[in-house]
Amino acid sequence: MAAVQETIDQVALIDVDQYKYGFETTIEMDKAPKGLSEDIIRFISAKKDEPEWMLEWRLDAYRRWLTLEEPTWARVNYPKIDFNDIHYYAAPKSTPGPTSIDDVDPELLKVYEKLGIPLREQEILAGVEKPRIAVDAVFDSVSVVTTFKEELKKAGVIFMSISEAIREHPELVKKYLGTVVPTTDNYYATLNSAVFTDGSFVFVPKGVRCPMELSTYFRINEKGTGQFERTLIIAEDGAYVSYLEGCTAPQRDENQLHAAVVELVALDDAEIKYSTVQNWYPGDKEGKGGIYNFVTKRGDCRGKNSKISWTQVETGSAITWKYPSCILRGDGSRGEFYSIAVSNGHQQIDSGTKMIHLGKNTSSRIVSKGIAAGVSQNTYRGQVSTHRKAENARNFTQCDSLLIGDKCGAHTVPYIEARNSSAQFEHEATTSKISEDQLFYCLQRGIPTEAAIALIVNGFVKEVIQELPMEFAVEAQKLIGISLEGSVG
Amino acid sequence: MNMQTAITMTAAETALVDAYTAMIGELPGEGAVLSARDALLADLKRQGLPTRRVEAWHYTDLRALLRAVPAHDPSAFAQRVEPLVAGSSVLSVLNGKADVKTAPAGINLRSYAESLVEGVAAADLIERDTDDAIGRINGSFVRDGFEIEVPEGTVLEQPLELQLVQSAGQSHSRFPVTFGANSRATVIERHLSVGDAASLVTVVSDLILDDSAEITWIILQQQGASDSHLAQVNFDLGANAKLRLFIINAGGKLVRQEIHGVTTGEGADFQLRGINLLGGDTHTDVTFTLGHDVPNTTSKEVIRNVLFDRAKGVFQGQIRVAPDAQKTDAKMACNTLLLSDDADFSAKPELEIFADDVQCGHGATVIDINPTHLYYLRARGIPENKARAMLVNAFVDEIVEELEDEGLIETLETIISAWLEKHA
Amino acid sequence: MLEIRNLHARIAEDGTEIIRGLNLTVKAGEVAAIMGPNGSGKSTLSYILSGREDYEVTEGDILYNGESILELDPSERAAKGIFLAFQYPVEIPGVATMQFLKVAMNEQRKFRGEAELTTPDFIRRVKEASARLHINPDMLKRPLNVGFSGGEKKRAEILQMALLEPKLCVLDETDSGLDIDALKIVADGVNALRSPDRAVIVITHYQRLLEYIVPDTVHVLYKGQVIKSGDKSLALDLEANGYADIIGAAA
Repeated sequence: MAAVQETIDQVALIDVDQYKYGFETTIEMDKAPKGLSEDIIRFISAKKDEPEWMLEWRLDAYRRWLTLEEPTWARVNYPKIDFNDIHYYAAPKSTPGPTSIDDVDPELLKVYEKLGIPLREQEILAGVEKPRIAVDAVFDSVSVVTTFKEELKKAGVIFMSISEAIREHPELVKKYLGTVVPTTDNYYATLNSAVFTDGSFVFVPKGVRCPMELSTYFRINEKGTGQFERTLIIAEDGAYVSYLEGCTAPQRDENQLHAAVVELVALDDAEIKYSTVQNWYPGDKEGKGGIYNFVTKRGDCRGKNSKISWTQVETGSAITWKYPSCILRGDGSRGEFYSIAVSNGHQQIDSGTKMIHLGKNTSSRIVSKGIAAGVSQNTYRGQVSTHRKAENARNFTQCDSLLIGDKCGAHTVPYIEARNSSAQFEHEATTSKISEDQLFYCLQRGIPTEAAIALIVNGFVKEVIQELPMEFAVEAQKLIGISLEGSVG
Repeated sequence: MNMQTAITMTAAETALVDAYTAMIGELPGEGAVLSARDALLADLKRQGLPTRRVEAWHYTDLRALLRAVPAHDPSAFAQRVEPLVAGSSVLSVLNGKADVKTAPAGINLRSYAESLVEGVAAADLIERDTDDAIGRINGSFVRDGFEIEVPEGTVLEQPLELQLVQSAGQSHSRFPVTFGANSRATVIERHLSVGDAASLVTVVSDLILDDSAEITWIILQQQGASDSHLAQVNFDLGANAKLRLFIINAGGKLVRQEIHGVTTGEGADFQLRGINLLGGDTHTDVTFTLGHDVPNTTSKEVIRNVLFDRAKGVFQGQIRVAPDAQKTDAKMACNTLLLSDDADFSAKPELEIFADDVQCGHGATVIDINPTHLYYLRARGIPENKARAMLVNAFVDEIVEELEDEGLIETLETIISAWLEKHA
Repeated sequence: MLEIRNLHARIAEDGTEIIRGLNLTVKAGEVAAIMGPNGSGKSTLSYILSGREDYEVTEGDILYNGESILELDPSERAAKGIFLAFQYPVEIPGVATMQFLKVAMNEQRKFRGEAELTTPDFIRRVKEASARLHINPDMLKRPLNVGFSGGEKKRAEILQMALLEPKLCVLDETDSGLDIDALKIVADGVNALRSPDRAVIVITHYQRLLEYIVPDTVHVLYKGQVIKSGDKSLALDLEANGYADIIGAAA
């Protein structure tokens, strides 16, 4: 069908020209010299005014990291990273750490305005209709401001940058940091443990339902820097929190590294909902530049009947390597993973999840929707396993791929491991292209091809979009439209 | 990284290397064949047996699982048995030695030992890729087998049975088989053990189907409970060729059955049906890769696993669709009934798709017996244990029923029922 | 033949009480119709009679020929002559219909201490019964209920009933999804089995089936209890006036 071919060609042409967030801001920065050594780690720790135990923790991780080899099992290709050619710390001179909104450099505020991130509480309050969202804004290596802190505090919720939490709540950080993703976990997590600079800390005490959505907005701005974010979220017995992260970066020819670690802990009857809209710069149409997004995200359903739900919309990054996982330790706990991964241009995605069933009567659900266009490679890699003692484990996995054009690749690599006769696992995967019948039906009803494709793709991902908090669902839908269609929103 | 440092050899690795030194003098073939054997053994020595770090062997750590290798036993005695289906032509390999009484009419045949002696076999003795441990071991040690050609247009009315009987020691056989254009045949590759001695059996079958050949190939593996069985079937399908491959594993201690195929002609169709009956302490791995290399080819794979006792089962299945292989239709299903808490099953069904106009999918389930089915049968007066047995039987018989040959279906169902009765 | 005394039962999984003090007596030779609005517990009652483990009896008793059957498992109840014709017969891939029939007949005979059927005897019986029910022999070659139409499934249930020769037949909405011709065939099949030593419970929504299988008694089930009993005129009355009056009077 000619119209289809036309659209495929057009989609193939679209690339970073559509990347709205590629602007760069000139802000005077305080940077660590390039390179990685114990001295650099001491430098970061000193900048953050950290206690001695934290420095030791970092140094331990660093020494461990030196003995590790970079993993090669993912289906991604990239030139070897020179870890000594990266600035491990970069902070705006004017705002070297979290502060009140009035003290934030106006240039920085402009950045967030441009990105559409609301940081002024009164402005947010003025918009009565919109639900309120507390934001932690991380600019390169530091959190510059966290909104609604006071109001959250009244409810008993702690929401601040992890650097602040290390100083102000060392007992909580000590108790939970590294208990879900140990410093020894994997190459990038170990590196992160040594050099992480900022990220968010959330603590929701027993019985509290967090009164608003929490979110962190990550911005990489400075050239030649890596961003090593560390986020820790704890929901005590019966607590509930919904958290969202967003990410963007300027357009650059060089590749920049983002190696985050996110740890979630849900105690008895607690629920954590973690949503990501990842829109790092994906590189240009030749495949030049873009973010390497090498992330370790893991949730520990530590308590009985606890629940952790990951929802991700991945449209950016040159390379994505990320498997938000759930350890279903508590009896009756539940893990969920909903994912949309869109790749275009030269993007490479190797993403999925792990559901590790340890407790009795645990259940998990995986819904993954991959859309590959251009010359991109899009891989779902997932593991579902039961421990021998994990009676009545249940998993349902649905994993669908859609190919747009014949130069891209879509791959599915599930690992299914049953170790108990009461386990019930159901896994389904499909790969197809947009059905010509569906397309024709839309065309016949007067919908132009591009809009029809957007419509069908949105139908394809609907199940996952529904899992996002309302206000982000619309955003995510738009983003998918942009990454694939350009003009169609 | 462990390539540079010399590995410490395990008992099995040492035994293989020693066996080579001991046997090489009397293994058939010289010159190019010998160099090919030497090269394969050198690789084996250098890399060792694969561990779980090798992705293709992720769930079958051969280095850890292959504990010992029985020495070749020239005095071992085995006899041919009655064919599975009356009236079949039987080609036996007894303890690794080909034994032909009468060559079946209509096909060209010679023992693989002859091919080795003549040197033409040298071209076969290569590794598929760096992970090909089976090709490496089998190529180093291969002693016999059959080279078979079913000429163009030949229709074999009766099945051809390749009967491998093992009583002790080790045997390494190969079966290069060419099916000419428009030929029709049913081949039964049957693996049996006599006696309780542990043996190591490796077998590689290379099947080439010319245009429009329609072949049914059945592998029935019933080796002893202490045997290691490492097998590989490679196939290449020409235009409109159809291969139906049935595999039943109902024996062996350590079993790895690999199936690797490509479709090289448009209109080719591949059907795989597998039944793994796993009990005792068996570790059985079926690993399958299929490359849809040209447009308009189809495939379907259905694997059914039943596990008792402490059995471990593995299914890895990979469907690749090449960039220009539009209109590929590929479906894969792997269903497992896990009937013991000490048994486990791992599945890795993979899709690797580089063309957009395709219909590909896979499904994998691990389930218990359907309680509604069980209740229905009980409500008709069938006691619970009997009802369970019926449902387990049904789970695998569904696959057997697809073989349209009534006699064959009955024979295989009898074997399956007997196995299930023994293990349930 | 059947006596249900103050029966209370609930769904095992969530504890929802469905049957709340049900009393019912059905004599040998009797055809009893059970009617009632949706959700009144009609199907649940049939499952409980057959011993389905998804339901728990919390109070009361079910006596069959004077002895309690609550402790018996489904196959024992079946072997003692209780037959349930399912509203939705399950499809069991891989189990051939003929094989299933043979195993069921012989296991019940074994339980009762009777000799197993010879294969020719078995085949003769199946042939005769299926001819009476206008069942195409090809249907019996297929796996159990797999690919059967709605009407074929119901006829297959009646065929099983004819072959297993139960003493108490429970027909759970056997008329649903049947056209008039199929309904007549099914009803003829049931009527052929009417005898002085056999009881039939017909669970249905509609009077229609009762025109063909004329009941001796009619019982109205509502919220897990029999709220009214009568003769066949009660069914006609329900058809004309609906359940509202009776429910109102009972409440």
